[in-house]
Amino acid sequence: MQLTEEQIFALAPDDASKKAGKDLANPAKWVSKGINEKALWGECQGSGSKPYQTQVDLQNIAFKCSCPSRKFPCKHGLGLLLLQARQPGLFNVSDAPLWVEDWISKRAVKEEKQVVKSEKPVDENAQAKRQQAREQKVNDGIQELLLWLKDIIRNGILNIPEKGTSYWENMARRMVDNQSSGLAGRIKTLGATRFWEEGWQTNFMNQLLQLYLIANGYQNRENLPPDLQQDIKTAVGFNINQEILKEMPGVNDTWLVLAKESRIEEKLTIERNWLYGTQNNKYALILQFFVAGQSGAISLTPGMQLQAELVFIPSTVPLRAIIKNQQSTVSDKPPAINPFSGWQQLAEFESRLSSSLPFRGEQPYIVKNLKPVQFNKQWWLQDEQEHLVPLNHGFRKIWKILALGGGEALTMAVIGRENKFEPIGVWRRETYSAI
Amino acid sequence: MKLWEQVMNTAMLGTDKGALLDDAFPDELSAINEQLKANAELDKEACFLNQAALAFNYQACGFIPFRKEGINQPKAQPEEKLYCSTFAAQVLKDVLEIESIPLLEYWLEHCADASQLVQADIVTDVLDKSVQHPKLKPLMAACSGKLGEWLGNYNPLWDFFKITPDEEIWANGKQEQRVKLLQAIRKLEPKKALEWLQQTWPKENATAKLDLLKTLTVNLAESDLPWLESLLTEKAQKVKDEVLNLLKRISGSSVIRLYSEILADSVILKKEKGLLGILSKTSIQMKLPTGLDESVFNTGIEKLSSNKAVSDEEFIVSQMIKFTPPAFWEKQFAATPGQVVEYFEKYAPLFIPSLVAAVARFGTKDWALLFLTFDKFYAELLKLLPPLEQEKYLLRFLAEDPQTLIAHAMQIDNEWSPSFALAALREMAGKPYQYNNQGVFIRLIPVAVLNGLESIEPKEPNPMQNTWWVKDREYLGKLLTLKQQIQQAFNP
Repeated sequence: MQLTEEQIFALAPDDASKKAGKDLANPAKWVSKGINEKALWGECQGSGSKPYQTQVDLQNIAFKCSCPSRKFPCKHGLGLLLLQARQPGLFNVSDAPLWVEDWISKRAVKEEKQVVKSEKPVDENAQAKRQQAREQKVNDGIQELLLWLKDIIRNGILNIPEKGTSYWENMARRMVDNQSSGLAGRIKTLGATRFWEEGWQTNFMNQLLQLYLIANGYQNRENLPPDLQQDIKTAVGFNINQEILKEMPGVNDTWLVLAKESRIEEKLTIERNWLYGTQNNKYALILQFFVAGQSGAISLTPGMQLQAELVFIPSTVPLRAIIKNQQSTVSDKPPAINPFSGWQQLAEFESRLSSSLPFRGEQPYIVKNLKPVQFNKQWWLQDEQEHLVPLNHGFRKIWKILALGGGEALTMAVIGRENKFEPIGVWRRETYSAI
Repeated sequence: MKLWEQVMNTAMLGTDKGALLDDAFPDELSAINEQLKANAELDKEACFLNQAALAFNYQACGFIPFRKEGINQPKAQPEEKLYCSTFAAQVLKDVLEIESIPLLEYWLEHCADASQLVQADIVTDVLDKSVQHPKLKPLMAACSGKLGEWLGNYNPLWDFFKITPDEEIWANGKQEQRVKLLQAIRKLEPKKALEWLQQTWPKENATAKLDLLKTLTVNLAESDLPWLESLLTEKAQKVKDEVLNLLKRISGSSVIRLYSEILADSVILKKEKGLLGILSKTSIQMKLPTGLDESVFNTGIEKLSSNKAVSDEEFIVSQMIKFTPPAFWEKQFAATPGQVVEYFEKYAPLFIPSLVAAVARFGTKDWALLFLTFDKFYAELLKLLPPLEQEKYLLRFLAEDPQTLIAHAMQIDNEWSPSFALAALREMAGKPYQYNNQGVFIRLIPVAVLNGLESIEPKEPNPMQNTWWVKDREYLGKLLTLKQQIQQAFNP
């Protein structure tokens, strides 16, 4: 597997690691190094008496290093990968030393153990009781939330921008107390409406109505189809046990990582990885949560392709998924894709999704031959049928897209919903590049 | 959409002030609306929230993309040059990441010299730097090709690709542009620059006249004299001063003739026979003529010395020596340049600095070599010396006054030799707080220094300074590695 420099940098936990890793992409820093089809390894002379032993699992990207750094991957892992990407000729293909063999085989055993672990018996009665208690709490919270929403609507939203932060925070906290973290998050988003921008009223109402639909839907969930019930529960904040999910049938495919977005909330990194299944033509969202400054259990980077089995969380519009089984990380030329022919086809597809799940989030799509054009002092993405979708005025990557295309249409990966989309990557000379 | 507008209006004012009207609902939603209204369990707020949710989803499911025919945006023209290699592009990314503008300039120069282009995926990162570093614009234009030119049509910050004819810039350009243009023309076609300036001179204001006159400093010649002499009657004093400054650089000018005439009468080499004609006595006699032409003081010569050790008379003479071509003394003393310098050194050392200033002013390179053995360092001679001589001269005095000497060395155009660079860096190692900006003069430090970099230590160990220097040295190593990679990328 051969990652590009951009892909390696996307694995770094922060900019400092990126820079330090770059400095270590220097053959002089490595006492020994080697590669085979399973792993990449090297010994880096650090400040200690013994060199640090650094190893990378090339089949399912993972790192291990004997250095004391708490960052993950550490600068040594990044440096070693970078050096291999820049000067592959320096690495002799050979049998891995014992310390590498040990780690690689332990990783395989760990995978098996996880499967065994999931076979432990569960006390179903206790679980049911816990579930019942939680549902009661959520119900209480939702009653309170509905009263709060009605209160806003009775008084009108005209003066809503004048409400202080405590107005939103208190209600969000109430939802957390009632074990409805999903609703708490949506209340925070509602309070974070850009009240100073023109048209805030529509954005605010869109968010508020989605919140109402979830709350009201939860109260009436017994009359709804199972998948929609699950969507509502997920939106409220109920999580599905990953072990249970892993027992469900998955979708085997070669998944192309379209984009990776990270944001830090209260010292927690939330990483969103957008994937596209090249054979099944499905899109997926892999979410990871981990302590800021560290790395998630899965190391994905835009442009990377995984041969993996994904299990989708049950939904009327399946999108969020977990990796059940990752066979290997491949990155040859991307196989053929099946993009949307244009905005009209995408709009029809979006309508179907919205009619099934009105409170869904944004979603990635691949759209064929889009061209950035200027019209009415604004940038738009024009398809082959001359349909246009506007880009936000603040979309700074427009220049990069223009440079990559030079005025020619490019097949693009975009993220958004309805008529608001932003490009996240382009196909150029048959190769996908995240932007 | 009428329904959504109504929803928003009702939401803004609140359900206490009104409800949604039935006629706002399209036919396909009427039945559901009726059901909602008929539901006795729903209070008016719940009824509105349900109606609004219905409208929200109806809108979301009915999105039709906007279509506009005939938007034909031109494409970038095909490139005429080749893109740089992947390795060169990677080095450029590293340079951009380390934010070294001197190395960016160095990379762009190599790329332009190789007639290559920046790859499309990084061209915008390069063009972004033009805002803070406008002097790189010409190089960026050369290295971003047709794509850059095309992008410049859309981004006003990158609008530096259009080539405006010189005549138009001269006629209608901003003052800064006109000065730059005249400077460029003066370098290549000195007479044309003079003609252009003569044509517009009556229309220029005093500030513009001053700026434009300064461009004539390059390639000054006897042929400029008639016009420059005619400008001595200019009204603005600052313009007149600049004209005088230019005239003081042309050997045949009236002002230099005036100084030469005065000096010819005032500074005389005397050779006398003494003691039965066996011994000879040589001296330089200096005395200003009585009834000195007062007009000399209108040319910028000061009357009074501010230094007690220098008389007013000596002060006046020393000023005139500064503006008199050194060749004058060959005739005046009937001696070779070497002898002239020797006479001044022996009999009138006070005037040596003025003589050096004259050598620098008139660019007499052969004279410059005559002062290199002196015990004093004359910085103004540096630019007249060939590169190796420059370094030898600097090295002679480096240990005495490293701060000044390194400051002068940084003004040199050519890359330092490895031996000089190592010597200079050793001095810098002792004062890491002062020299923490090696990035600025990385162009001067040769890549060959990389081999000996680790061994450079401060002369006098100081733990605090050592730590600082180690960091500086590491940074310098990174810059030099990139510099080396730039050279390799364009000279494989």
